[in-house]
Amino acid sequence: MKLRLAVFVAGASLLAAVPALAHHSFSAEFDGHKPVRLVGALTKVEWTNPHSYFYIDVKDDKGNVVNWGCEGGGPLALSRAGMKRGDLKIGDTIVVDGYLAKDGSHLIDARRVTLPDGRSVYGGSPGDGGPPDTSATSKK
Amino acid sequence: MKRFAVALILVLPALALAQGGGGRRQTGPVPTGPAPRAANGHPDLTGYWRDDGNANPHGNLGKDYPDFKLPFTPAGEAAHKYNIEHTIDPESLCLPGGLPREDVGDMGFQLIQSGADTVFIYQYGTFRDVPTDGRKHAEDPDPTYFGEEIGTWDGDTLVIDSSAFKDSKTWADENADPHSDVLHTVERWTRPDAGHLHLELTVEDPKFYKAPIHYQRTWIAAPGQHTREQACSENNIDVSEGHLGFGPGPIRADGTRGYDNPDPLPPPPTKSNPAKTILPANYH
Repeated sequence: MKLRLAVFVAGASLLAAVPALAHHSFSAEFDGHKPVRLVGALTKVEWTNPHSYFYIDVKDDKGNVVNWGCEGGGPLALSRAGMKRGDLKIGDTIVVDGYLAKDGSHLIDARRVTLPDGRSVYGGSPGDGGPPDTSATSKK
Repeated sequence: MKRFAVALILVLPALALAQGGGGRRQTGPVPTGPAPRAANGHPDLTGYWRDDGNANPHGNLGKDYPDFKLPFTPAGEAAHKYNIEHTIDPESLCLPGGLPREDVGDMGFQLIQSGADTVFIYQYGTFRDVPTDGRKHAEDPDPTYFGEEIGTWDGDTLVIDSSAFKDSKTWADENADPHSDVLHTVERWTRPDAGHLHLELTVEDPKFYKAPIHYQRTWIAAPGQHTREQACSENNIDVSEGHLGFGPGPIRADGTRGYDNPDPLPPPPTKSNPAKTILPANYH
């Protein structure tokens, strides 16, 4: 139990010390109580500032396909997290875990991106106050 | 497993501190020894400076105040409420952070001291050039986001006195604390040794605050790092498509921004537990 607490404290200190690359507060745009998991085929990548975007076609229970936008950190934040532009290829199936935009649009904050090779990469903007993802396997 | 966890405890903060702000990842150790001196004999503050991780809660001008509560006047209280309820984060609109926000944020920055100029280079292409050539404040300067900045040396301390700010277009910090057009800041910058840069900041704004605000923090030298191009307007669909709401969102009791007890993400998918799409309940 003590060890678990120590790991939590270490994780918290990591998050407190990670330099911010945030363009806005997470909670100004996304709802921390609406986690989302999207699985779909990549249709477009915008490797841009102040945020990168991954667009994926997601099929719902009824077979309807909806194109979702997934907002990630800028190129600097993503490259530090271990994701390179070449990791994302149009047509690849990726898994994006994040939080729904408050405005109800088909946009989520891409907190974690799981690539076809199985790597889970922290996709958010460090220091934006959003929920941490301590389970991403790539470094933050 | 236990050994791994203990190693993680020791290594994680070090990993975090090995990463700088907006620059390239740090490649060298923190310099030691006395602060270098410029040709004119003053301490040379030149370098890339990263947050030391201790200015908590980050981005909060009131970090050292009880309950993080700044001494608002009634007009200041109303201006804060207005910022939270009716303004989009000015930095998200790609406006310069200005002062005091750039001193309070947790991004690193590059400082270049050259003769009678001290230049601060921040994220998103924002910069300020502080003259230290003996000039005085102008009689009627044009208001700017960083104000009219005049640098002087007080012994080994670089003092930057700034006034003539644009009015309430920018936030004073990440928490949407306000400032008015009568804002006056005095920054006292010192480099106590080669590896550290320290700031003592005084913020006066009698329209919005009943007393001067005092703020202090330290940055760490990050040799080899540089600011990088980050074009704020390149693809700012948060604003152009109207996704971004007003204010910074919820502010926690500990003075940070974000949700208390956010719902966790599902665990990462595995081969034995492949992922399928999960949308919030009642989502249409």
